[in-house]
Amino acid sequence: MDPITAMYVSQGVHGLAYGMVLFLVASGLTLIFGMMGVLNMAHAAFFMLSAYFAYQITVSTGSFWLALLLGPIATGILGVLVERFLLRKIHSMGHVAELIVTTGVMFVILGAVKFIWGTEFLYVSPPPILNWSANIGGMVYPVYRLFVMVLTTIVLGLMALIIFKTRLGMVVRAAVSNAAMVNALGINVPILFMFVFGAGSFLAGVAGVTIAPVLSVFPGLADQMGMDAFIVVVVGGFGSLGGAFLVAMTIGLLSSFGVQFLSQLAPVLTFAFMAIVLAIKPMGFFGERE
Amino acid sequence: MINRKVKWVLWGVMLILLTFYPKLVGPYFTNVFVHFAIFALYAVSFNLLLGYTGLFSFGHAMYFGAGGFATALALIHINGCSLLVALFMGFFASVILAMVLCPIVSRVSGTAFAMLHLAFSMLIYTLALKLRKITNGEDGVSGFPIPALNIPGVVSFDMRDSTNFYYFVVVVIGISLWLLWSFTKTPFGQLMVSIRDNAKRVAYMGFKVPQTKAMIYAISAGFAGIAGAVLALFQDVIAPDFALGPGTSFQVILITMVGGMGSFFGPIWGSAIFTLLQEFTSRYIKEVELLMGVILIVVMLYFPKGFAGVLALIGSKVFGQLPRKTTAEDG
Amino acid sequence: MIILETKGLYHDFKGLKVLFDVNLEVKEGERHAIIGPNGAGKTTLFNAITGTYMPSKGRVFFKGKDVTGSQPEQLVRQGIGRSFQITSTFSKLTAFQNIRIGILSKRGVRFNMFRYVDDMKDITQETDELLRRINLYDARDVPAGILSYGQQRSLEISMALATDPDLVMLDEPSAGMSKEETHYAVELIRKLTEGKTIVIIEHDMDVVFSLADRITVLHQGTILASGLPNEIRENQAVKDAYLGEMEE
Repeated sequence: MDPITAMYVSQGVHGLAYGMVLFLVASGLTLIFGMMGVLNMAHAAFFMLSAYFAYQITVSTGSFWLALLLGPIATGILGVLVERFLLRKIHSMGHVAELIVTTGVMFVILGAVKFIWGTEFLYVSPPPILNWSANIGGMVYPVYRLFVMVLTTIVLGLMALIIFKTRLGMVVRAAVSNAAMVNALGINVPILFMFVFGAGSFLAGVAGVTIAPVLSVFPGLADQMGMDAFIVVVVGGFGSLGGAFLVAMTIGLLSSFGVQFLSQLAPVLTFAFMAIVLAIKPMGFFGERE
Repeated sequence: MINRKVKWVLWGVMLILLTFYPKLVGPYFTNVFVHFAIFALYAVSFNLLLGYTGLFSFGHAMYFGAGGFATALALIHINGCSLLVALFMGFFASVILAMVLCPIVSRVSGTAFAMLHLAFSMLIYTLALKLRKITNGEDGVSGFPIPALNIPGVVSFDMRDSTNFYYFVVVVIGISLWLLWSFTKTPFGQLMVSIRDNAKRVAYMGFKVPQTKAMIYAISAGFAGIAGAVLALFQDVIAPDFALGPGTSFQVILITMVGGMGSFFGPIWGSAIFTLLQEFTSRYIKEVELLMGVILIVVMLYFPKGFAGVLALIGSKVFGQLPRKTTAEDG
Repeated sequence: MIILETKGLYHDFKGLKVLFDVNLEVKEGERHAIIGPNGAGKTTLFNAITGTYMPSKGRVFFKGKDVTGSQPEQLVRQGIGRSFQITSTFSKLTAFQNIRIGILSKRGVRFNMFRYVDDMKDITQETDELLRRINLYDARDVPAGILSYGQQRSLEISMALATDPDLVMLDEPSAGMSKEETHYAVELIRKLTEGKTIVIIEHDMDVVFSLADRITVLHQGTILASGLPNEIRENQAVKDAYLGEMEE
């Protein structure tokens, strides 16, 4: 493979890897929004927090795998706690109140992270087993990135399995359509909410730990990922995982290539795109009329 | 709420205090007051949408900043632009911007409305940063002339004097607030709170809801623009980061929530509290975000009616149970 | 004179056919009841007429004019009033405010930004009058959401009437009411709608037979029968459709 093609392919794979992680984050957000109608403003902050957990655990214990195990769990638990102690009382006050509280959580996490770890870029090295580059068809590619894609695929696959093949998943899907009915059928909705919020946050956590070695860890992680995830959810549509997948991949590829060619315009295009989509189809993407 | 006569006396006292305030406290705190007044108007305009109509403008800074930029740019590019014309440009620019969004905005509510505003305000913020030729990017527009306030043939007030500017602000923002307050007391005000309560039913009572929302929206934007215009005149500089960006949008949300979104005066209290807090803590606390977040959560959980709500509670305990004020005072 | 008419009205919801070829005819001044089992499409019919939905096919005529698919607010201005099966008041506003908004609408006071609404004495008077007629004057300053169920239903119905419509469409006004409350509601409706045309969806047969001049029976989305109460009572097809339901 000649160098130019190799560069394009390499960029492409970068893009796909980021796209998959983005899809993972967006799925968590979609899960929470679809189920509970809450647009969790703190979701990207959870993602970022998990990356910081990855850093801390790796630095303290030397084991990336431990971070991969504990980070998402910690984030998931945090999600459960946020829902249980903060959001539960807020639901009755409407979506605006939920937006405000989750925004508050976002600020708290952002502030806490800066306070504890400062604002510099922190580096997490991938585990030694994966910390090399493979020579594939004449192209040298970091194995870790391939691992990222594989892992996200596995996690997403597991999630899909749970949602579509298990009873729990069925309950979740039912609650997406009609939470009140599910409640009337005797299912404990508050616990279900805690589970969903926790699961969504867990997904963000997996994404955070996984991407930490690639993107490095810094407070701005939340902004970047947050915007992208919102766009995926908005444009992809909360009912359509397929659509979300496509959009996530597109954004991944665009930002990978776009960064090179359109770095000045990228943010403007992104927001313009999102604004236009929302303008044309606010109902279609946010489902219910409020 | 309280006896009419008592009310008149209180207003009278306040008027006297306002008149002699600069002499009493000196230039530094006079400027603090101006800052408070600007954000009070900004927050009240925001609350017109949130508290009164139930629409969460999660990006209201775009109107605030647009007003400021329009005023600054007018003063730079228009030769001999007078003070009032510059102010008006601020109002005008925000209203125009609002009209652009109106058709889309009047058909949505709830989360979609909020997200739309987030997106558009980020778009405008990013544009402001990128279009260096017009807005000078991050540094913003500065050094524009602040014309004197001229009453032809009678007198000319130098607006760079903090006392003169203070009186100018009291008049401009005072009138604006009064207009907004009157607005909420008209039939149109009833429409607003009805839409907040049950928009569907409002249509079934014979009202065109999208058009009504559009009007409210334009008014809210316009007055936010005036606040921004005054900010520009006050600071002689206007930059995206403190007038147009997400930080400024979040700020007004915080102010309104803390002050209380269920009443007209709530955001004014919020601005007072916020301005004072800033004064006394900005030197000591670096973790602004942490504080902001905690305040948002605590207020939402325990004091959803904000400071104004707490006041009302105390008031009803002190003055006994009185006939309930009904319009927006129900949070 | 026929005040309300639908011609060949159909409505589907994404493949689910709810209304078939409905040809409703309501004469001016009459009290017309629409009955039928749950799921027959009664509320959908109301929705298709009052602008909540744009009917898939067919036309709606009000006072001889084609109003198919008009927005609700246009129909209200032309003289239709509607109440809802599930109480849809302004729950955080007082009973007074709930009625007043209707009076304001009737008086054409819409975008008025120049007078204080509380100073509009004639509006206040008219609102209080209506409140008195529905016996809610004592509760005028109580938020609608706190009123008793029966009071809320009264408010619901009178909101439809506040705009002084020529045609009043009531969707199960007695829903959830006890026998006494129902009796009271019927008398209220009778009193308040003198001289007006009303179309009422009802399940309670006592209400239907005591109020209605004419009855239309809707079954599985289409009109089974339409005529005088006695005709309907004797109608075999209707009896077959709901054995014993008429005895309620």
